[in-house]
Formats: sequence, structure tokens, C-alpha cells
Amino acid sequence: MDRDRKRSRHHFEKEKPSINERERCVVWEDHRSSLDELFFRNCDLIKRGSQEYKDFWLFLERYEAFHNKRHVEKNSREKDSKDRTSSKLGLPISYDRRYKINVALLSKDVRDVTGFSTTGTKKVYSSSDKKSGRHSRELSKEDFLEFKSILLFYIDFCQKQKFSKLVKLKKDQANLPISHFREQIVNAVGNNQAVIIAGDTGCGKSTQVPQYLLHAGFSQIACTQPRRIACISLAKRVGYETLNEYGSQVAYQIRFESSKTLGTRILFLTEGLLLRQLTTDPTLSQYSVIVVDEVHERHIHGDFLLGVLRGLLQARADLKLVLMSATINISLFSGYFTGAPVIQIPGRLYPIEVRYQPPKVEFSSSSRRSERLDPTPYVRIMQLIDHKYPSDERGDVLMFLSGMAEITAVVNAAKEYAQQSRRWIILALHSSLSVDEQDKVFDVAPEGVRKCVVSTNIAETSITIDGIRFIVDSGKVKEMSFDTEAKMQRLREFWISQASAEQRKGRAGRTGPGVCFRLYSENDYQAFSQYTTPEIQLVPLDSIILQMVALGINRIREFPFIEPPPASNVENSIHTLKQQGALTDDEILTPIGQMLAQLPVDVVIGKVLLIGSVFHVIEPVMIIAAALSVQSPFTQKMGYDSVVASLRQPLESDHGDLFTLLNAYDEWLQVKSHGSSSRQWCKRRGLEEQRFYEMSKLKRQFELLLRDHHLLDPEGRDEDEDERDREKDKRRELKRLKRDHRKTARKTKMLKLDEDELSGGEEQQEEETKTDIRDLEFKLTHDLDKLEAGSTARRSFTLRDINLLKIILCSGLYPNLALPDENNTNKRDSEQLFHSKSKQFLQVLPTSVFANRPQLLQLTDTSVKYQLLTYVSLLETSKPFLVNAMRVPALQTLLLFAHSLDTNGDLTRFVVDCWLEISLPDNATGQKVVSAVQQLRVTWARLLKLRFEEMKDIPERTSATRRNKELDLESHLANKLSEFLDSDVSYSLRRLLPSESRYLYLGPLRQTQNDREFKDAFPFAGGSEPHPTKGGVRVNEYLTYNCLQDTVMAEAASAAAQYIAKHWRCEKCGQKMLVTVLERLQHQEECQHEEPVDPNDSAGAEQSQTTDKSAAVDSSIERLRKPHFCNTCQTQFSFTSTEILKHKKSHAAASTT
Amino acid sequence: MSETAAEKPMFTCSSCGFECHFEYFGKKPPFSKSVVLLEDAYVIHDPFSPNSGHLTLGGQCCLCSTNICVAQTCSIFYTKRFCISCVEKNTEEFPDEIHKDLQRKDVSRS
Ligand SMILES: [Zn+2]
Ligand SMILES: [Zn+2]
Repeated sequence: MDRDRKRSRHHFEKEKPSINERERCVVWEDHRSSLDELFFRNCDLIKRGSQEYKDFWLFLERYEAFHNKRHVEKNSREKDSKDRTSSKLGLPISYDRRYKINVALLSKDVRDVTGFSTTGTKKVYSSSDKKSGRHSRELSKEDFLEFKSILLFYIDFCQKQKFSKLVKLKKDQANLPISHFREQIVNAVGNNQAVIIAGDTGCGKSTQVPQYLLHAGFSQIACTQPRRIACISLAKRVGYETLNEYGSQVAYQIRFESSKTLGTRILFLTEGLLLRQLTTDPTLSQYSVIVVDEVHERHIHGDFLLGVLRGLLQARADLKLVLMSATINISLFSGYFTGAPVIQIPGRLYPIEVRYQPPKVEFSSSSRRSERLDPTPYVRIMQLIDHKYPSDERGDVLMFLSGMAEITAVVNAAKEYAQQSRRWIILALHSSLSVDEQDKVFDVAPEGVRKCVVSTNIAETSITIDGIRFIVDSGKVKEMSFDTEAKMQRLREFWISQASAEQRKGRAGRTGPGVCFRLYSENDYQAFSQYTTPEIQLVPLDSIILQMVALGINRIREFPFIEPPPASNVENSIHTLKQQGALTDDEILTPIGQMLAQLPVDVVIGKVLLIGSVFHVIEPVMIIAAALSVQSPFTQKMGYDSVVASLRQPLESDHGDLFTLLNAYDEWLQVKSHGSSSRQWCKRRGLEEQRFYEMSKLKRQFELLLRDHHLLDPEGRDEDEDERDREKDKRRELKRLKRDHRKTARKTKMLKLDEDELSGGEEQQEEETKTDIRDLEFKLTHDLDKLEAGSTARRSFTLRDINLLKIILCSGLYPNLALPDENNTNKRDSEQLFHSKSKQFLQVLPTSVFANRPQLLQLTDTSVKYQLLTYVSLLETSKPFLVNAMRVPALQTLLLFAHSLDTNGDLTRFVVDCWLEISLPDNATGQKVVSAVQQLRVTWARLLKLRFEEMKDIPERTSATRRNKELDLESHLANKLSEFLDSDVSYSLRRLLPSESRYLYLGPLRQTQNDREFKDAFPFAGGSEPHPTKGGVRVNEYLTYNCLQDTVMAEAASAAAQYIAKHWRCEKCGQKMLVTVLERLQHQEECQHEEPVDPNDSAGAEQSQTTDKSAAVDSSIERLRKPHFCNTCQTQFSFTSTEILKHKKSHAAASTT
Repeated sequence: MSETAAEKPMFTCSSCGFECHFEYFGKKPPFSKSVVLLEDAYVIHDPFSPNSGHLTLGGQCCLCSTNICVAQTCSIFYTKRFCISCVEKNTEEFPDEIHKDLQRKDVSRS
């Protein structure tokens, strides 16, 4: 080591004079390529192309400029004291900057070059300089040495800079209020299983607590966040603060991506994701500490997580739990985790002055109910700020409004004022803006101009804007609640809670003292509820309950939520889950439910995916399912643009919004695969490209999940080694890209005073040339050729394909159906009305294709084909709307998916789920339709069973015979379905009036029917029994025969039909028999449930079966007859059960007349 | 390098109290192969760069052997590392430029 030092010293002394003697006329830039090869190779400290490299060349420029000035003076002084050393310490008296540098370069090239220098050869320096041969001067040894020392100065400069950065980082950490509690926190976590940390914004809990725990020796720390975006930014921040910004010690994991590796110690993840991990790791054994942040926000996943973790603490004595909350309602949490110590951290907010300024009530207001918000008070506050605060005192304004319409009203008025005053830049902020537009709120206003951000409550917690000094709080919020009766989301305006008002206020005091204008009175404030309603009270519980069951939680209704949801909501969700086939009647998870619980999407969408996988049309289904699980790519720009509208039009599908989403994604793929800029393409159409990327990632995730469960064919052939290598390369490349990208993350820009909504061409161009990291990532992670092929294939979908796709979508969406109003034809486009079972007078959203082309749903004169709209959800804002609608053929959809189908005696009337009535022209049509439906539904059920229920025997699944059996059944069913969809049945369809419900059903018999007797009456129709409330006979779980009260006119015919036995030959088993309608239905039901006739089986088996059957049938009518004594007419009969019903009915009818 | 932060030894500056876990002490930091240090220094990998590289936290005063950070208010490097108090005790040994440096720092510090 000592030798090293001597050697370096030696270098200094040798090199020094040469620099000064030389003329300074080297233009380094001209020799860049040769210098690059000497100093900036991959093994060197500074690598060519890196940020440091770029910075060095800038440094070099400045260095040269500076030193050319001081050169002469320095030159003369240094000469005389050369080579002398100080007496005591032996330090060189002659000063050289290089003595102050504690580092020497040690690269191969440097040694080579110094070796050459003794021989006097100069070739090395110029050898690689051929390209720039026209330059007059080659680099001399002195030049080279000077360059080297400048490089050293730069390295030293960087070291100093980075060290101060490090010192500042440590100082900032120490200055956080929470730093005084470090030991207390670490001790509390060491000594208790659960600890509560309460601190307000700015105390540093989210960033510091995980670090404290890490440094105290805890490892495998999971930190949950309610929001995905926070996971990413916190992982980045904590990584930086733990000096591990570029490592993976601190990582995040969200729905689409993860930076986690084996070396990860702190993982930021969403609450929802941690819950999902419970399914594969029930005790969360991969973590030793779980930090649940922002528990006061009370998101549904957070609440559920707390319940689960409370139980887990008992199961795992080694588990540590840290709850972090704002100083809101702490007693609720400490009551829930009894014994958990509470550590309260003071916040670091500057004082904020609160001014209550309720707007004066103006009675003369012209609007009837003043539905529109009056923006005047908001503009007045801007004026007040202009008057009262000098414009050179910085500080921006943040306004909280309840919703989009309110924001638009205020933005428009404020812009008008801004144009006059020229002191304001107005920006809107809400979640339906594109990401780029949202990012604008982080830009800074020029000197003397204030930024005014008009926002929804998104800026209350999710988005933090720096530099806000003034808050204007409307006191209102639009909140989504779920109406379990109407099964509808409802967006309504409410007063905010006190907690929320305080949170809004606090946004002004983050960087300095602030002012909060409250546009309500102090009395109003006092009347506000204390806390915001927790999400669990407001949203459908389907997913969470499914997850609870999947996690093996036995008593769902008694789950110890911190504040339990309404019992009726729980019951409703359990009912829905049963309807979707996720739960059995005994509330046990079905195989389908098991799958649904693992899909990271809504139950309805998950169901669609599963059915799609059964029918091998999974690609389009996955795309649609993904589209429905992310925010819509169709942004709503303020002031709707006609150009955008016309460009969007080719994407619109006349089948409905679901197909429009599919089209948009497919077109996007096409644009990408043709090498055009998809970013531009999206921008012109007002599409948010980010959503397409999200869809792609989600679709990929679906693929993996379905494949894991053998619901999707394995991917291609097994990749060979080459392919694997290529994969590895791709991944490495992607990692590098992402790393580079992080450095060039969005920089805050300066806002312009007269900036138009459509930003100038200049900016757009700049954006265009910038490498599109998302595009690269997409191309690296997806097989674009394959995707493009799929997209092209979908372009040539036939109507048949589309219809099958619709049926698959319906299987999940049912019963989300709405019927067009009878009078729609006479109404204007914007007034088209629809009715669902639970909610009347619905409209389609103005962006839907059906809003602009209502004729798509109208009945044509030539062939009457009723259509219904299926929808993904209902949303009530000013009016109730259908969200994501799609048109489907009415008869077929209803009969295929109805939970209950009730018929009259001659099968000419069907009542579907007690709200729609289908009338068919005659009994023959009825017979045909029912027969088809029975067959299809049985086959459908059998296929599902084959796919899901027997999935557990995986080895058997993979066997060829098994697969072939499935495929045969599937293609058989697909064909039959298409046939059924194409079938041209004339019928009429109407909604039942509420008043009709009284006379709808025959109802149970007056006299209690002897059950045993009844069952005996149907020896061969095992499941058939009278319906307990409707009357008639239950043929299977959905079909109830002859329970409808016919109108007097129709009654005679219907009544007659009931008894008429006709010759009939069963298509399935080939039997001929003489049967009544009921007997025929029953036979069909039974026959369909038989194993399908295997053509390979010996004919003998079939024969014997047939003979058995016909023997049974021949005598069936007689055997159905049983002695029956009627109490009313005191007569002994020999009746079938149906005849008994009929007979009793005749008495009932007689007694009423 | 798989040890956790808690297991890494701590470097503490005897002058300003700056504390940071260090990863290497010596002249040839393993994560920065193309350089050699001219003193035995406390070093971490460069936390602010995605590439390999090192960051010197401090060293030992060549006279009194205390651990001292590289902050200009705590130490100087002039062919060797000196803590500020040792520099002050031996001002005559240092060239004028160093004295100027120190004065400048004093001004900026107060
Ligand atoms: Zn120090
Ligand atoms: Zn010393």
C-alpha cells in the first residue's frame, strides 16, 4: 500500500511541469472518440454514455473556461517552489490541486500509456484518432496527462458533491419529527406484537418507520399502502434514504409489476395484494413484520386486512404488526388491538389560518333548484388573494370541488378572470384526466403568477402538490355508494367529514404558513360528521366475501371487522355469489369460486374469463375483461372535441361498448405493429395510452393464472435454450431501460401564462423524439407478431363469432340486463330509456354507441327481433346510467341464463326471473324452444363440470382422451349455441307490470299437498315436485312448468294442451312415446342428464338402455295415475298429479265466481 | 455483501458526529475497481449512481488517528488526511492555498 502512494506521488511530480509548459489550444471535443477509448470504457469508473459521463464533458467545458483565465498567474507562481517539502510533515510546499485528491485512476489503459511515456513514443495517444484525422494536432503525452488530472478533479468534485448529498440526507432524516421517537418505536415493536403509530402529514412515519425497523435488525418487512402509486414512490424514496436506490433491498410489488428480489428486506405493496398472498401463504410466513400504513383511511381492503391480521397475531407469536395512522380516531384502533401501545408523533405543519366564508344565499337566483354550482365565490377568493397578498409572495391555490361538472364551472369562470388579471394559471385535476394532464399540476407557475388547481378530493390524500398556500374548500364531496336493492352505484354529493375538512386544510401548511377558506359556516362544520364513512359501508362486498370464503373463514357473518358492514349487504353479496355459481347453497366454495377468488378482478369479470376459457375464445374475452378492470382509455376532455369524436368513430362497434373497447385495443395493436407512433395515435383520439399498457399487463396476468390452472393450453412448444437465452437478454435489456428511464423521469416544467388546452406543437415534438419507455417495455415483454395476428383475426370476426362472444360475456354479466322502453322509437336520441329488473328509467352514457345510434336497438318491421342491453354496472349521477352496455338477442339470452323460467301449460308463455314475459305463437314453437334450451343448459353445465369440478385430477386432465372428450363437447355446444342464436323464432317480449304480480302464478294449492303422494306420482321424473310458492311443477332448478295463470281467453287452450298427449320421439334417445307436455319436459330433462351417447360404445348397450326406457314409458301414463279422493266434491278419482292440480283449480275457480 | 444494514459496522466522525454504515475500509474498494485510494478510507458503494463506484465517507487523521469525515469542516486531504485540529496545530506546514481554503470554510461556516 505504501508503494502505491509513493508511486502516485511520483506521478504527480513528473507530470506537473509539462502541463504548464504546454500551449493551451487543445479542443478536447475533437478527440472525444480516442479519449473515450482510453478513459471511459466499461471497466472504468465513468462509463461512456452514462449520466456521469455526460456531466463530465460539461464539467470539462466549464473547467477549461475557468482555467484559461487564471492560467498565467498560476503558471509563474508554481515554478519557484517546485519540489520542496515542508520540514516536519514532509508535505510539498509547492501547492498543486492534485495533492488534495485522495484517489488515483487505475485502469489498464492508464498503465499502458504511462509505460509508453518513458520511451517517448506518442503513438498511443493518436492511434485511435484516424477518424478525426483532419484535426491539425494530435494529443501529446502532456495533453493526455492533463486530461487525466481534469478527470481526477471531476471525480473529486463528484465525491464532494455526493458526500454533501449524503450529509443532507442524514440531516433531513434527523430533522423529521419522528426521529426523536426512533428508539421508542424500535423498543415498542421489540416488546409488543402490535404497535400503533399515530402521526400527521409530514411527520415522516411512512418513510422512516420501515428504515428504523430495518436498522434495528428486523428483516422481511412488508409495508402496505392503500394506493399503488404510493408503493412505487415510497420504495424509491426509502431505497434512496437507505442508500440503496439502485439495489433491491427496498422494493415494491403492485398488481402489474414488482421490483422484488431475494435480497429484498422492505417490500411496499398494496393492501389488496397482501390479502391475495394469504391464499398461497395463509400465515404470511414470508414476512416477519407487517406495517399497515394509512389505516385511518379505512379502505375496504385495509379493514379486512386488519381483521385477518388480528387473528394472525394469535397464530404467529413471532409476527410483528405496526399500524400507522393519522391522528384520527386512534381510540378505534387501540380498542381493536387491545394492549397495543400508541406512539403519537407531532406533525410538522405550519400554522394555517381558517376563514369561514359561507356564500350568501341569493334568493333571486334564476335556476329552479340551483343544480349548477355558482362559481362566483371561488373567483371572489382569487380576487381577494390578488388584493391582499403581493404577487411576489409565492404560493399557489388549491380548490376542492365535489365533481367534474363543478370543476368545469369553476375552471371556466376562473379562466375568464385569469385572462383579465394575467396573474393566474388555472388547472383542473380529477381522475378521468390523462396522466400527462394530471402531471401538469406539478409544474410551476412563472414569477408573479399563481397556479390555481381546481380538484376533486383526489388532492386530499392521493396527490400531493407542493407550494400550496391557499385552500378553498367547498365542503362537498361526491361519494360513490352502493344501492344493494337496485344493485347500482350511486354518485352523490355530500358534506364532507370534519376529518376530511382538516385534511384539506392541512394541504396548505406543508411548506409554509397557509390560509384555508371554507365556503361554509362554522356551524356547518360543527354539524359535519366526525369521520368519513368507511368504504366497507359503501361498496358491494362480493369480492371481499368471496375472498373470505376462499381463505377458509368459516363464519363470514361474524367476521370481527373493526366496524362491520350492514348485515343486509353481506346477505346480498352471498346471494350474488351463489347466483354466479361461486358458492354452493351451503355457502361452500365451488371450484369456479376457487378460481374466481384468485383472479384479481371483480367476480362478474372473473366469471366471464372462466367461461371464455371453456369455449376457447379466450383472447378477446381476456382483452375485454382487462379493459373492464382498468380505467377506461377513453378520456373525457373538457369541451368535447368534434375532431376527437370523428377519429374515435371508426373504433365504435355497433354491438356496444364492450366491443368498442376490444376494437380500440386491437387498433392500437395494429398501429404498434406497423411501427407508427401509438402515442400520437392515442393522443389524437383522446385515448389514454397508459390504459392499453395496463390492459396488456393484466391480460398477461390472466394468461398466467389460467394456464396455472390448466384452463388455457400450454404456451407453444417448450422453449429451447436459445429462446431462453433470448428471454434472458430481453429481461436484462428491460432492466437497463428502466434504470435509465428512472433518471430521466418527468421533470417539472414551467407553466405558460397563455397556454392553450392543446399544448403547442413544440412540446409535442419534443415528446415524440423522447424514447417511449413504455413502448419499448411492451415490445420486449410481448410477442407483437402474435398479438397482431390475433388482432387481425378479430377484424374478420363473423356475426356468429360475435354472437358466441356475446353469450360468453352474458354468462358473467347476467342478470345485468335492461329492456328498451316501448316508446323509445318516438323519443329523441338523448331520451332513450331502459329498464332493468331492479331499476327503471335508465339511460345509456352519452359516450355509448347506443346514445348516438338508438336505431340499433329498435325493432325493425320486417322481422321482430327484440334486443336487450347487458351492462357491467349501473351508475347514478344526475340520472341513472348503464355503464358499458352491449346489445344481445333477447329470447336466447333470457332463456339461456334465466335463474327462473316459468311457463304456462302449453308453453306459449314464459316468465323470466319474474319480470319479463315472452309470448310464443303456439305450442309447437314453445316445445321446440324449451327443448333446445334444456339441451343447451345441460350440455353447458356438463362442460363446466368437466372443466372445473374434476380439475383436481390433473394427470387425468392432461390425458388425451379426456381432452378430446372436452373438445368434442365444447365444439358440439358451440355449434348448438350458434344454431340456437340463429334460430328465427317469432315472439313478443314485455315487462310485467307490478300490478300483474298478484295474478301471475297459480300459487300453491289451497289444501296442503301430500308430498309423499306427489312424489309417488312421478316415478320417473326424480327431481320434479310442486313449486312451493308458484304452483306448477319444478322440472329442474330453473324451469317450472304450468305455474302461470293464463288469461281467461288463453286458459281454455292452455288447459287443454296440458292434457293432450301427443306422439313424440325424443331426439336424444330415439324413443317414441305418447306424452303430455309435462311428461315430455320431464323426459327431456332426464334424458339430457344421461351421459352423452358415445358413438364408440357398443350398440348393444344403447339398445338395452332404449328397451328399458320404452318399457317404462309405455306404461308411464297409467302409472302416473293414482287414486285421489277429492274432499270438495267427495269423489274418488284416478288422477296424475297434474290432473289433481287442475281439478283443484276448477274448484277454486268455481268458488270465486 | 448480503449482510443487512444492521450488521454493517458504523463509521462515526469524531468531529461532527456524522454517522453512516460503511462497507469497506482500505485503499482498494471492491466495488470500484478502476481506482486506488491514496489513504485507508471508510467507503461505501456510490449510492447515487446506478453504476458501480465508490463514495468515501472519511478516513483516519495521519497524525492523531481519529476517524474523521471528508467534510471540508472536519478534515482536509493534502497528500494525506489531516483532521482540522491537527491542521490548526501545524499550520506552518501547509502551503498558503490550504490556509486560504480553511479561511473560506470558516467564513462559510459562521
Ligand atoms: Zn465530520
Ligand atoms: Zn488529527
